[in-house]
Amino acid sequence: MVLLEHEKFFAELTKLFYSAREKGTVRMTVKRYDGRTKPEPRVGKEPLPTPVENMCLIRATCRSKKISTIVHGQEVKKFHQKYASLMRSSMDALKKQRKPKTKSKAAH
Amino acid sequence: MIKDSIYFSLNEIRFSKMTYLKSWEEFQKAAEKLYLQNPTKARYNISYRHNKGLVALKMTDDATCLQYKTENQQELRKMEMFLNDLMRHMASNEN
Repeated sequence: MVLLEHEKFFAELTKLFYSAREKGTVRMTVKRYDGRTKPEPRVGKEPLPTPVENMCLIRATCRSKKISTIVHGQEVKKFHQKYASLMRSSMDALKKQRKPKTKSKAAH
Repeated sequence: MIKDSIYFSLNEIRFSKMTYLKSWEEFQKAAEKLYLQNPTKARYNISYRHNKGLVALKMTDDATCLQYKTENQQELRKMEMFLNDLMRHMASNEN
């Protein structure tokens, strides 16, 4: 898992989408992340220090390539804007809704 | 005990057997509820397959799994808005 800065993450994600154009799937996971780097210890052992701040962890994979990034509270708005526009431009194989055919009816 | 109560509260919105929900609205409502039950454990997946023109969504806490798939581009906007709410909540200190 490669943890990247936002700019780098978007650049790599664009590449992932591009590499999956012929075939393959791009998977993205969004999860709350409290900043811990160790697993939760067993009951009876010293617990982990209480997390200070909640963050948002974003992972993306395509075949064996994996990338991830962390978004802090203040950056969410900016990050989401970029993320959404990237998804909109990359997910362009989805079907557009067809307009109702009013003209052909009128021709009869 | 806790697991049972989750199962029943989610059962109210009728998807105990089917993991794929039929409409976006249904999925959004259920996924939001599932996330809020346990924000630290829940994760949200988006997978996109270009050659099939398909987006599949998943919200799971490893006990219940909710899924939804669509080919409709119109729903991308709704997904974006949902993702925004979700990310804002994740990166905040609310529970």
